[in-house]
Amino acid sequence: MSKTINIARYNPEQDSQPQLQAFQVDSDHSTSVLDALLQVQQQDPSLGFRWSCRMAICGSCGVMVNGIPKLGCKTFLRDYPDEVTVSALAHFVVEKDLIVDMQPFLAHLSAVKPYLINDQQNAEPHRQTPAQLAKYQQFANCINCGLCYSACPQFGLNPEFLGPAAITLAQRYNLDSRDQGKAARMPELNSKNGVWGCTFVGFCSEVCPKKVDPAAAINQGKVASAGDFIISMFKP
Amino acid sequence: MVVKKKSAPGPYQPVMARTWWLQHRYFQMYMLREATVLPLLFFIGCLLYGLYCLNLGEVQWQHWLAFMAQPWVVLLNLLAFIASLFHAKTFFELFPRVMPLARPGLMIAGQWLATLLVATGLVLLLGGWL
Repeated sequence: MSKTINIARYNPEQDSQPQLQAFQVDSDHSTSVLDALLQVQQQDPSLGFRWSCRMAICGSCGVMVNGIPKLGCKTFLRDYPDEVTVSALAHFVVEKDLIVDMQPFLAHLSAVKPYLINDQQNAEPHRQTPAQLAKYQQFANCINCGLCYSACPQFGLNPEFLGPAAITLAQRYNLDSRDQGKAARMPELNSKNGVWGCTFVGFCSEVCPKKVDPAAAINQGKVASAGDFIISMFKP
Repeated sequence: MVVKKKSAPGPYQPVMARTWWLQHRYFQMYMLREATVLPLLFFIGCLLYGLYCLNLGEVQWQHWLAFMAQPWVVLLNLLAFIASLFHAKTFFELFPRVMPLARPGLMIAGQWLATLLVATGLVLLLGGWL
């Protein structure tokens, strides 16, 4: 079955803004948006987009499908009876066609020190009970696809806002029993671009392909931030 | 030698339209939740005005009662009541995600019960039945 797919094309050497271009692709029950893009690339090799694993693990193929952030490989044309419009992830600078500049996103991720901080020098393995693991496990499933940033109007309005994935990652390490770095992460989370920039729109959790629930992580971060503030009041 | 190219537009910086929240239903529901504060502001204004009138004396108090009985005031306050119920519903749905709980269903039922008890107590107290 032939299907029309509209793609927002942008050539940084000529265009002032993205323009929709229609393509015809063969579609059956198993054709994903990524499959369709690969077909289009056969017709027009100049089409630029990112992809790698085709199985919702690498987080490379994030695009807007009919205005909603989706992973191209996990979204199927069968679910769109009418036309499909694919554009670059919202709120990010478009480099070319469907390729966006992920640098601000990566900078926000590294700003929250997303690694175990622990002074213990011994070579003993850190033991963790299933209950301790359960505290943060859901937040550890993030694949850094950036869909939550495209879903977040606060990030769209203020690109300095740390954003859903970065705050979730901070929360993931703060809740880890092996970690001692909470004090180092809290100043970033307490800042005006930290947890308090979130107004709990909640769309980040709706679009997350890994059901990480970043909105929950951020708002649990608000509780932690408030606690941190109260404790700091009683410290000399 | 570096050949200078004719200046190209370069990467495209997207702009967010003021009407972003009209894009889809999820954002519309979010804005509706946020907008519930508007009729509640009117309700709070009414209450404060009532307190002020009570302080001024009986004539002003009767004037306030007459003001409150006007159909448009009743209608706006009814809207505020519905808005607060809608806000409470969304709040109780979101709350267990902020405070992870072992039994969220039971907790939500408990919160509604507590709300009902406190509200009934307040109505009885303010109405002079207690």
